[in-house]
Formats: sequence, C-alpha cells, structure tokens
Amino acid sequence: MMNFLRMLLYPGMVYILTLAMFLEWLDRKLVAKFQNRVGPMYVGPLGLLQPLADFLKLLSKESIIPAGSDRILFNICPITAFVVITLAVSFIPMVSVRGLLSTEGDLIVVLALLTIYLLLVYTSGASPPSRYSQIGAARAALMLLGFDLPLMMSSISVAVIAGSFRLSDIVAQGRYYIVGLHFIGFLIFLVAAQAELDRLPFDIPEAESEIVSGWLVEYSSWRLALLRLAKNMEFLLLTGLAVNLYLGGPVGPSPPSLEPFLQPFYFILKLVSVTFLLSLVRASFARLRIDQFVSLGWHYLLPLSLIYLVMTIVLVN
Amino acid sequence: MVTSFEAIKNFFRKRATILYPEEKIEPSATFRGMLSFERSLCIGCGLCWRVCPASAIKQDRDDKGARPVFLLDRCIFCHICVEICPKKAIKASRDRGSLVMDKSSLRVK
Amino acid sequence: MGVYLPMGPQHPLHPEATLVKLRVEGEHVVDADVDASFVHRGIEKALEHKTYTQGLYLAERICGICNVAHTTCYTTNVESLAGIEAPYRALYLRLAVEELARIHSHLLWLGLFAHTMGFETLFMLAFRDREPVLDLMEEITGGRVTTGYNVIGGVRRDVDPGLVFKIKGVLTQLKERILKYKELFESDPVIQARTRGVGYLSKNEAGELLAVGPVARASAIARDVRIDDPYLTHEEVPFNVIVYDTCDAWGRAMVRLDEILESINMVQYTLDHLPSGEVRVKVPPFFRPPPGEMSSRVEAPRGSLLHYVKSDGSDRPVRYRVRTPTLANLASVVTMLRSRNGKIVHIADVPVIFSSIDPCICCTARVTIFDERGHVLEKPLNELLDMRRGR
Ligand code: SF4
Ligand code: SF4
Repeated sequence: MMNFLRMLLYPGMVYILTLAMFLEWLDRKLVAKFQNRVGPMYVGPLGLLQPLADFLKLLSKESIIPAGSDRILFNICPITAFVVITLAVSFIPMVSVRGLLSTEGDLIVVLALLTIYLLLVYTSGASPPSRYSQIGAARAALMLLGFDLPLMMSSISVAVIAGSFRLSDIVAQGRYYIVGLHFIGFLIFLVAAQAELDRLPFDIPEAESEIVSGWLVEYSSWRLALLRLAKNMEFLLLTGLAVNLYLGGPVGPSPPSLEPFLQPFYFILKLVSVTFLLSLVRASFARLRIDQFVSLGWHYLLPLSLIYLVMTIVLVN
Repeated sequence: MVTSFEAIKNFFRKRATILYPEEKIEPSATFRGMLSFERSLCIGCGLCWRVCPASAIKQDRDDKGARPVFLLDRCIFCHICVEICPKKAIKASRDRGSLVMDKSSLRVK
Repeated sequence: MGVYLPMGPQHPLHPEATLVKLRVEGEHVVDADVDASFVHRGIEKALEHKTYTQGLYLAERICGICNVAHTTCYTTNVESLAGIEAPYRALYLRLAVEELARIHSHLLWLGLFAHTMGFETLFMLAFRDREPVLDLMEEITGGRVTTGYNVIGGVRRDVDPGLVFKIKGVLTQLKERILKYKELFESDPVIQARTRGVGYLSKNEAGELLAVGPVARASAIARDVRIDDPYLTHEEVPFNVIVYDTCDAWGRAMVRLDEILESINMVQYTLDHLPSGEVRVKVPPFFRPPPGEMSSRVEAPRGSLLHYVKSDGSDRPVRYRVRTPTLANLASVVTMLRSRNGKIVHIADVPVIFSSIDPCICCTARVTIFDERGHVLEKPLNELLDMRRGR
C-alpha cells in the first residue's frame, strides 16, 4: 500500500506532473519578466494553475483527425511519447539520491528513452499529410543529428568521472559541482538541451512564423494536450538531468535528520536556477535556420563534446 | 548578448503591461470620443447629416421640424459634425467607445 | 518541379490576407509568387461617392498605420486642385505628425520583423517602445492610430508649449532605445546570420523593378519623395536620406532604424522652428474645385505613395486613384523570394524576406491589375508629376 502511494503521489506521478507544470509556469513567467510583461496572472495564485488550465482546456476541444493521415500512428504517437518520457523522468533522483526507479546503468536508459521520444516526435509529425507538419518532422529529424551526440557525450563524461552509469551513484558521490572542466560540459549540455526542447533559438521544427507550428500543427484535443504535457516532462527531464549530472542533484548541506525535507528543496532550488538560465537564453535570441543549426552542431558542439569526453577519460586514468 | 543584458534589466523593471479591466487607461484631454446631442439647441439646419462621412446621422422629424438621429455604432469619431454645427448642439466627449450590450442604446436622438 | 507550399492567406507570417505561393525542394525555395488580392474593398469607387471633405476620412482608412501619409497626400492633392493654401504653421505641424507616424510605423515593423525571425523579446520590446509614441499621437491629434489630424485647409489642432516639451522628452528617450536596437542589429550573431545576405536585391534589380522606400534605399538607390519632390516644408527641415548598399534584409532594417533617428531629429527641429500663425483656413464643407486633374506624391513609411484625382467641377471627384508603396514593392519581393544567381532562399528566409519590405496588403489589394515589371506605370507616373510641377 505504502509503495503504491509512493509511486502515485509522492515522489511519484502526481509529484512529477506537478513539478513539470510548475516548470512550464516558471518558464513562461520568467520569459514574460524578461520581456517586461506579466505572464500568466489569473488562474490560481500568480497564475500558477495556468498550465493545468491549458491542459484541461485542450481536453475539452474537438478532436480532429485530418483526412489522409495515418490514423493508428496519429493516435498512438501522443500516448507513447507521453509514456516514454514519463518513464524516463521516473529515473531522475528528485527527492533523495535515489530516483523513483533505479537500476544499474540507468543513465544510458534515460538517454535511450530520450532518443526514442525524439523519434516519436518525428513519426507524429510525419503521420498527418500536412506539408507544414511534414517539413517540421523532417527538420526535427535533422536537428536530432545536430544535438543528440553532444548531449550524450557530455552526459557520459560525467559518468566516466563518477565511474558509474547509475544516476544515484553519480549524485551520491556529491562532488560534481561546476568547477573547471565541468563547466564546459555543463554549457554543452545546456545548449543541446535547449535544442532538444525546441526552444528559441532552436525552435526550428516548430517555427511558428514559417511552418505554423511544424510537427504539432495538425494535433488537437487530448492528443495535443498529451504532446504538450510530454514536452513539459521533457523539460523536467533535461533540467533534472542537468541538475543531477552537474549540480549535485538533491544533495546539499543538511543534517542527516532533515534530509528528507531539505533534499527536495535543494533539488527544486537547483532546478529553478537551471530553468532561469534556459529561459534567459530563450529570451535573448532569434531563431536559427536549420542549416545554420546543423553546421553549429557539427562544427562546434560535436568536436567540443568529443574533446571534452576524451579529456575526462584521460584525466580519470 | 545585448538582449541578455536587456532581459536581465527588464527583470527588475516595472511591468509595461497595463492590467486593463482593473487599471483604467485615461484618454488624454484631447481625445476624440463619443458624441452627445443637446436636442433643445438644435435648429435643424441639416448640416450635420449632410456632412457626416459615415452616414451615421439620419434625418428625423418631430413637431419642431427636421432633427438629426445619431446612429453611434456607425460613427467613426471624425467630429466634423461637432465642428460644423452652428449651434454647438453636438458635444464631444473623451469617452472611449461604443462597447454596449444593447445596440439600440447607441441610437441618440 | 518542387512541392507547392502555400503561406497564407491565413498564416502567422502575416496578419493580413496574403498568399505567398512557394515551390520548395526540401528546404529550398525554387519558385515563388505573391497573391495579394484577397481584400478588395472598393475604396477608389467609394471615394467617387463622397464629397471632398468626406473622402478624406475614407482615404485615411485606406491604411491604418500610414493613415497620416494618406491624409497628407489627399489634402495636398485636393488643396492644389482647389487652389487652397494651407497656413505655413499647418505645414510644419503636418510634417511633424507625419514623421511621428513614420516612427511608430517603423517601430511596428521592427516588432513584426523580429517576430518573423522568431525573436519574441525584440517583438515585445519594440511594441512597448511604440506605445509612448502612440500616446503622443493621441495627445496631439485626438486619435491613437487613426489620427484625423490633417484636414483640407490645414490641421485640426495646434500644439501648445507644454505638449512640445513633452514630445521632446519622449523622443529623447526613444532615441536611446533606437540606438540600442541599432547596436543589437550590428552585434547580435543570430540576427546577422538570419538577415545578412538574405533577400538580396541588387541595385540594378531595384532600379528595374521600381522598388520604393526603404527597399530601394537599402539597395543603394537614394530615392525619397521628400527630397525628389518636396510636398510639405521639407526644403527647410534638414535631414539625410539614409542609404545602405548591403542590398539585403539587414540593410532594410538598418535603413528603417536610421530613419527613425532621422525622424526624431526632424520632429525636434520642426517643433523648435514652428512659425507662428493660424493652423487652419476655413473651407466650406461642400466646396467645388475647378474641373481638372491633379496628383501628389508623399513618402509614406513604406515608400512613395501616389494619389490622383480628377474633378468635373462638382463637389465629388470623378475619379480617384491611389497607388500604394507595397504594390510597387511586390515585384521586388517576388524576385527576392526566388533562388537565383547562386543565392539559395530557404523556407526559413521567406518570412524574413517578405516582411523586410514592410508589406501592407490592406492598402494594396484595392488594385486588381498590375504589371509585374512595373514598366507600364512608369510613363503615366512621370506625366502626372509634370502635371503637378506645371501648376
Ligand atoms: S463624428 Fe463624424 S462619423 Fe460621427 S456622427 Fe459626427 S460626422 Fe458622423
Ligand atoms: S448641425 Fe447642429 S443645428 Fe444643424 S441639424 Fe445638426 S445638430 Fe442641429
């Protein structure tokens, strides 16, 4: 019983979903602040419930399947994307050094699930016949080439130093704060994460003013709600991963007796600061073109992350 | 980079948004707004409905003679009628606009 | 050849009904065309049914953003037809308000341009900085956007010294902001990557396609009605014609930003040197100009604007014709959108290119027939100008 509640409420599904929605709110609020606006205001205190309201609103919309689309894929993709990304999030240590799920080598599992999710983005964009959606899907696949490898290599370098592919081990070692070499890895990770999340300056697959909203354009109702929720979870996943790999996860100075209370607090604090950085980047750039992004990925990100990986391996031995 | 600094500065600035229904926006003293009509001053010269570019003034009759009726939902607030009325029977206000539930209330006699 | 990709008539690229027809191969545009005739409003015909006084308010509504340019053009046109002289002070005030309108039009463009590049922050900031200018407009003219300031025979209202002081204060602040944006366009790597070399229109092409306004000036052609054919008191107000020779979207942006600075100086100069006197001569509401034709040109924020009127001696025009700057630039934008001379246009460039001419379709779509190369219009245009100079 206890275990079931733990999976469901805290630190389980409900906690994760709340956190994901909170991060969306925070991101919107921060970007609004950076743009001298106010952001969400009216639903709940300070507009905190806005993401939930958006979710519910989308659920109430008419569900449309465009003629000529692959009906099976069109229905399955949103569900699978959400499930896959939720599964990946449950490996992230959030309230203590151990995640909800934890196995040997779970960092690899998380990265693999993330890539599966990105492939699902491609299929969900390719299943309706709309040209905007097809172009968006093609761009998403092309983007994958640019940022996926740097993301993996910068994460794996941390695992190399820690000597383990288990997230809880990496966190438990507790000495991975931004210092020296790690700083580069952190930057690479953030840039790749920003691209992974389709956020400015890399929101190329969605590019509102070019291809309307790219791979998402034909989705409505619960499918769009799920896809958006999956994107929120992806945001939580990547910021959570950044916190765990580079900022020490939920670990922070606290007396052992207070740990169950302080550790979630430390985690959220670090999460907020990473979100701050990502939002700042989102607020300060225009959108790149796809060819410019791919060349950025292959000319700078990939070589840099390769050098970084090799350097860490050399240093560790 | 310029924008990043700008963004951080904005973070500490007061919001530029005006929360409209709660915070009222005062129209400036010279704003051309809704019209009001003083029927007792009118002499029925007919200039206003002949000059109105939006056909927002119709001719009407009562026991004193021809009188204007204002269909303010059509008015474009050009205020030529205000300027042209020899008796100053048409008055301008700073009221912003014709947001009403009942269109017939915009019919001013 | 290629896949057909429509952008519009309903598309976030542009709030107005425009259809950019693209043929794409992968991410590359191979062919392009623009269809702007979705909103035919019949304004020219309607103008024939309005008296000259009433027509002013219809002409003002041809375009929301350049309404001051349209009223300036209309009043100059009808005044020279009817032989009415607007007072000297009114001409100065018209100039000041016209330049203010240019400032807010260019700021609006800056926001939309940023939006097409996906630069949300710049979009928000540009609109924030435009707000004080609109407030000024409201205070000077009585209307925020649709100003109704110019009337036949002068302007509606005078400015008082308190207002002059306020205008100067707001403009000085605005100047700092514009300098910031210039710095941004010069230094930001992403903006540079997105606009440099994009939408290339060489000097020859611009001349051949009769580009007007900032599009021509960014292609190193110093074409500006305010210099070529001054219609208000432009001879007395010092200003520079901004010319860039980069021939691309970046150049067009810089031209507009520099023009804002130039306009700020012009407004400040005009307000400092306002002649005294009346601002309006009384004109009877149903005046009848003598039979004849007249045309006038005005440098609207988007380029040169032409109004033509023909009168038969009654109180309504027999024919009224308007040629808007966007129409003149459509031929150029179609050329820019096509990949040519080894310059590849990407799908992502299309919004940038299209909005770099500052398209204003609602004032263009009234025209149903146009020659894409622009040759046909050239001769009548010169004839009309001679006619105006001859009087
Ligand atoms: S303000 Fe103009 S549109 Fe309105 S009633 Fe008067 S003349 Fe007609
Ligand atoms: S112009 Fe004035 S006096 Fe004449 S009819 Fe109209 S309201 Fe009456």
